Amino acid sequence: MEKTGEIRFARNSFSKRLKSMLSVDFRRMFTTPLFYIMVGIAVVIPILVLVMTTTVGSSTSVDPVTGVETTVEMEPITNTWQVVESISGESSGMSADIMSMCNINLLFFMAAVFVCIFIADDFRSGYAKNLFTVRSPKADYVISKSLAGFTGGVFMILAYFIGALLGGAIAGLSFDVGAAGSGGIVMCLLSKMCLMGVFVPIYVLMSVLGKQKLWLSMICSLGVGMLFFMMVPALTPLNSTMINVIMCLAGGAGFSIGLGAISNAVLKKTNLV
Amino acid sequence: MNAIEIRGLTKNFGNKQALKGLEMTVPMGAIYGFIGENGSGKSTTEKLICGLLVPDGGSIKLFGRDYTDADVRAKVGVLIEAPGCFPNCSVWNNMMLQAANLSLSNAKEEVKKALQMVRMEGAASNKYKNCSLGMKQRIGIAMALLGHPALLVLDEPINGLDADGMRIMREVLVDITQNYQCTVLISSHILGELEKIATHYGIVRGGKMITEMTAEEMNTGCRTYVALQTKDIGRTKALLACRYSRVEEDESGYIRVYDAKQPEEIVTYLYEGEILVTEMKTAKIGLEEYYTDLMSEKGAR
Repeated sequence: MEKTGEIRFARNSFSKRLKSMLSVDFRRMFTTPLFYIMVGIAVVIPILVLVMTTTVGSSTSVDPVTGVETTVEMEPITNTWQVVESISGESSGMSADIMSMCNINLLFFMAAVFVCIFIADDFRSGYAKNLFTVRSPKADYVISKSLAGFTGGVFMILAYFIGALLGGAIAGLSFDVGAAGSGGIVMCLLSKMCLMGVFVPIYVLMSVLGKQKLWLSMICSLGVGMLFFMMVPALTPLNSTMINVIMCLAGGAGFSIGLGAISNAVLKKTNLV
Repeated sequence: MNAIEIRGLTKNFGNKQALKGLEMTVPMGAIYGFIGENGSGKSTTEKLICGLLVPDGGSIKLFGRDYTDADVRAKVGVLIEAPGCFPNCSVWNNMMLQAANLSLSNAKEEVKKALQMVRMEGAASNKYKNCSLGMKQRIGIAMALLGHPALLVLDEPINGLDADGMRIMREVLVDITQNYQCTVLISSHILGELEKIATHYGIVRGGKMITEMTAEEMNTGCRTYVALQTKDIGRTKALLACRYSRVEEDESGYIRVYDAKQPEEIVTYLYEGEILVTEMKTAKIGLEEYYTDLMSEKGAR
């Protein structure tokens, strides 16, 4: 500490505050096991889906009362990119069972888990208490958490894509890009990344509402996220174009600004401990 | 200019009114002992000052500015309940996170100095979860000292500290107030320890400030008494009660007279009443006893 005759109040600029806040959040994100677990799951899921759907063609169940055998034929995946997304207007190729939930769009729910745990941890550990005592602008926190959550989501999408490539290679599936074209796949992935900008602010808002109550923020995030989940395949088909990317980007920016402002107001107007 | 100025502060938790128009003035450079029973509103007041709770009414000013002012907030160091640290991170990393929160440019240097001040430099590489309760409290203080705070708000900081830890804490607090222009607001139930460092006191009860005074005022005005013994305690008490407003018999058989200006006047007065004083002494009550007395007085009212 420096000896001083009078109190000097030094104002930190927004950029300096945000830079330090981001450095803390990114350092935390990249050093926490949670992030690597999530990324690991994102890699493993497509591998499992692709390998399992090519080895298991059908499943048979027997009714214990009537003894009637029921065979469910699983429509096999023939192309690696089916695990990423379907071409607009076509079905994904997977039957409407649990497998259909295991495509890349599942990551929008995994992002909810990631963001909720990340923020609830701030409040449970007392880190938020330390932070908000010395830093009154709550917007720094909301922006930083949104960016960290968004980056986490982007990493998961990339990890899933790598997992899909590995799974496709292991299962010996075709990598034929077909009508989508390789550009379409890239645009599809970019659109999904931009769409994270819609989902992450929702999760941040639910998390700052729930604070240390992780169960509450998680339930609310998944519940509200579910409302928007249906639009994901429609907005980000495998044959996406720049229009899709721009639409998702605009949606992401709009949601980030709008919900970010609400999150900021929530933090300002509610008790933090 | 005062470090803290609170006027008419109210805070409700549901139907429970935690603060009922609390008034508080903490002068610059003071070590302000904030005393009160459990649930009297001490922690609520401190959390409000730190911006962790939203007040329902009243005003809080820190250094003459609104308490939400970003510049002011950066000059407040806090240890409320327990330090907010990540258990699996090292002490050093936790400190560095707080230094980053404060946007400190020379973070490493600052963290090193703060840890040295609380004699914790040797434990920097320890995981926070492996630290003892006393060590955690000292880390909390070190964290609060980052960024040259002009105001330290400490809630029960000496809880769980051993004798050495308490001595270190005392030295640190006196050092920063005397040499670094820092004001300290400290709440504690260990009144004996608080008495050694506090320059001002505020006693809160039921969400209201009962009294605020300087340590000198407490020493001179309220805390001296004359203790005496005679052969006829009953008659002595009755006679003294005619002249002095507060006369009590303590557990060791002494009669205490609290508002006598000079001990000699009591001797003369009793001699005139044909009572011989066999033993007499002047003494001071400790903060703890004063506080207990005050609480029972106010409770009786």
